[in-house]
Amino acid sequence: MSERPSIAEGQVRQVRLGHGANCSSIGSVVDTLFATATVGAAILAAVVAALGSEPVRVIRPNSRRDDTARKAKP
Amino acid sequence: MKLESTAALVAIDRDGARALGLDGAGAWSDAPGVSAPLEVHLAVTARCAAGCKGCYLDARPDGAQPERATIERSLDALREAGVFTVAFGGGEPTTRDDIAELAQAARSRGLTPVLTTSGLGLSDARIERLSAFDQINVSYDGASKAYTDVRGFDGASAAERAIRRLAETGIRVGVNVVLTKQSFPELEATIARARDLGACEAQLLRYKPAGRAASIDYLASRLTSGQRRELGPTLRRLSGIFCEGGRFHLRIDCALTPFLSADEEIMSEPSRLARFGVFGCEAAASLAAITVDGLMAPCSFAPPTRLRARDLAAGYADDDDLGRWRSYVEAPAEPCASCPIRSVCKGGCKVVSAFLSETHGPDPECPRVESYGAHLS
Repeated sequence: MSERPSIAEGQVRQVRLGHGANCSSIGSVVDTLFATATVGAAILAAVVAALGSEPVRVIRPNSRRDDTARKAKP
Repeated sequence: MKLESTAALVAIDRDGARALGLDGAGAWSDAPGVSAPLEVHLAVTARCAAGCKGCYLDARPDGAQPERATIERSLDALREAGVFTVAFGGGEPTTRDDIAELAQAARSRGLTPVLTTSGLGLSDARIERLSAFDQINVSYDGASKAYTDVRGFDGASAAERAIRRLAETGIRVGVNVVLTKQSFPELEATIARARDLGACEAQLLRYKPAGRAASIDYLASRLTSGQRRELGPTLRRLSGIFCEGGRFHLRIDCALTPFLSADEEIMSEPSRLARFGVFGCEAAASLAAITVDGLMAPCSFAPPTRLRARDLAAGYADDDDLGRWRSYVEAPAEPCASCPIRSVCKGGCKVVSAFLSETHGPDPECPRVESYGAHLS
């Protein structure tokens, strides 16, 4: 996986960890709320690092049967 | 953005997107619109033999079950709309012989499939067929007595076996714990047991008055006012016990978020809720549901609209019924209007408010709403 330019932590507005697997209501990880500032910063840093190499899928609203999956530019 | 290996949804600003080589082009110049739901709950069957006394779907052994082709058309619609996660439920979804094929069908459309099961009757052969799911949550409200109190029968040992076998098979497994007046005091023991069996997270669910739970018994089973106010401190304590190191996570569902308004520490820095992606009522916004009849609903507990799932992409933003649920947060009544976590909580669970006060208004069980009512009277 090629590395992309990294982004600043300040450019991350929200992080929702995990996908959850409940079929009746939407869930949110909350233990991060109670973590120390150091742990919170580490989570953010890990996410920013992952953004540098993870596949990115672009969604175009209301596209008709258009498989829009693509990789971000390296 | 959806991260696969880190398993996270991340919202970044436009400068961040440009830094990653993504350009919103025309989409960024348009007025903000209604985005597709991030997550859709898909009822793939209404069949279930468990007979849980509080089943929100009123599932039965002879319940309806859509054809595979019908479900695949719904998956097409989810892909078309830009949904990220599809949660298979019902009914007991593992009773479908084609559940593995349906999971693959979701994967092939770029969706992340997850599933909820009671674990009852989940043989090793059936477990082998669930490997395409990103995560599976087993309904587990605690050991024998707590489980029986919530569901009306003792299925704890079957659920425990399912948790253990799923974990041994290498499938990421969590537990759904319904919080009632009876199960809440057992929560620490329940989570400890689930983690020991191999669960990677516990999702705590508010007991809601829908389906078979929409009865007078709801009042005897729901959390007490004191327990609702204790949720924040309890989560803090349990996080300290179970979550250090990040290998086990605690989740709450959307309907529990208003109870955090009683926690002084959380309310002193409400922006942390948004920063870490905590959701309140996202019905018809980030969350939607598809019934076994193929109709869109704001969430699994809410009545369906007339919008067909196949019309999701074209109709989600403009459907009046969905819009009513989505727009509550724009101009809510007090005390939601002045609440510091209004933008996250979004007024609490409207299914509860409809049942208890016959309004589409503030959640009557929210501690802040309770205090406001006491102040007025």
